[in-house]
Amino acid sequence: MAPPELMEDLVGEILLRLPPDEPEHLFRAALVCKPWLRILTNPEFGRRYRSFHGAPPLLGLLHRLTALQGDPVPRFASTTSMPDFPHPSSGGRRTRPLDCRHGRVLVHMLREKIMSYLVWDPVTGDRHAVPKPTIHWLIHNAGVFCAADGCDHLDCHGGPFRVVFMATDDHDLLVKPTRAAVIRDEIYFTLRWGHAIVKYDGGNNCLSMIDPPPHNAYGISLMVMDDSSLGFVCIEGCSLHLWSRKVNSKGSAEWVQCQVIDLKTVIPVIDPGQVPSVVGSAEGVGAIFISTDAGLFTIELKSGRWRKLDEPGVYFSVLPYMSFYTPDRCRLLSLANMN
Amino acid sequence: MASAGSGDEKAAAAAMITLISSDNEKFEVTEATATLSQTIRHMIEDGCTDGGVPLPNVTSKILARVIEYCKKHATAAAGEEGSSSSFSDAAFLEVDRAFLEELEEFDDAFLEVDRATLFDLILAANYLDIKGLLNLTCQKVADSVKGKTPEQIREMYNIVNDLTPEEEAEIRRETQWAFE
Repeated sequence: MAPPELMEDLVGEILLRLPPDEPEHLFRAALVCKPWLRILTNPEFGRRYRSFHGAPPLLGLLHRLTALQGDPVPRFASTTSMPDFPHPSSGGRRTRPLDCRHGRVLVHMLREKIMSYLVWDPVTGDRHAVPKPTIHWLIHNAGVFCAADGCDHLDCHGGPFRVVFMATDDHDLLVKPTRAAVIRDEIYFTLRWGHAIVKYDGGNNCLSMIDPPPHNAYGISLMVMDDSSLGFVCIEGCSLHLWSRKVNSKGSAEWVQCQVIDLKTVIPVIDPGQVPSVVGSAEGVGAIFISTDAGLFTIELKSGRWRKLDEPGVYFSVLPYMSFYTPDRCRLLSLANMN
Repeated sequence: MASAGSGDEKAAAAAMITLISSDNEKFEVTEATATLSQTIRHMIEDGCTDGGVPLPNVTSKILARVIEYCKKHATAAAGEEGSSSSFSDAAFLEVDRAFLEELEEFDDAFLEVDRATLFDLILAANYLDIKGLLNLTCQKVADSVKGKTPEQIREMYNIVNDLTPEEEAEIRRETQWAFE
């Protein structure tokens, strides 16, 4: 017996449940028939899809290195079956990505006089030039984030954004060139010395310092926890330590250790004497990036599941690009509208 | 489990609802079971359930399955509400985990049906507005679509391809990566 036909809105209910971190399923479904193509390219479906799944998935990685490590390969490395988005260095110019968040990548275009900083949206292809700050690039760090009021950051492509540059005038207190953490309109950077944390409160336009939790690690990463508190992650010995900054009953903030994961049996290493190093985190999807002599890995905090992302290499700070990619985002939309 | 449920069943025994399928079969269910359906919940609130609730879109075969689902999940909801009193936290977590596992096993077994029944269950879950059942059944179909080619999806679900060869070629060109 032939299966009964489903009403169009129920087909939508089903397609809504295809996983966002494997975008190929949605694009294949768009080729089934005209009604499916219409549903999938309808912007209303895109809205429902994003709010159904919540946090945008990881689509790819860019890499940030220290000045001494040289320029990273100018590449958006896709972590899904999608091809890499074309990186804006195509003209052969030297580039260094500095940060990425809310669907945008901040790229430093070296030796480019007119457009020395670029905010690039890989999904839409939009590029915006950002005026050069009066600080030398060797000592600053920078972050980019969405500046729309009350935005849920599920789809803020094309909206207003803000770029924050941070530097010190004290050579003993240099800003570490690792990815910043953004919580609401506060941005957090770390200093090289002891990983002290500098917070810029954009709402009140003020700076403050936060002591890090006790640690001895070289590689650390700040992260945004699920409850929107500031997280601090590092590896000591063979364990991953995760701290979260909580407000205690007296109203003052303190670091609380919230998770310790024994990596010995989890992440592959070739030389057991080599200590793995934390090179970044992806907020929303709760993932930590770890570099070992066996490759670049990601570990999900909730499930403990890990996977290899890349071959061993020089990794300093991983910039995770997270966004939804649905059929209404490309030329399929115009195709569906033609019919 | 059984002891947790029996008290609630007694309490709800006074409030029974009669559901009438499209082929006129009558099903007696507790209000707790019936109100997993938002559609029926609203009918009860409006006081229009005397003499039974006719469900002209749902056959007795499908309604029996839907009721089976609602009974199991209504017991689960009642278990969650009346829990914290007698168990210590650790014991409660243990019971909670065992119960969730049992519920998952039930859901897995519940989905072991042919495609026609699965589609009928989706239509019924949508009409009766039972969120959990709609989610469960739609996810099952979505999982079956994953990793399939458009041709395989059409064949599985008996869908006629009404795209012209030119349109199909154009879409393939735009999204070649998805088919590699």
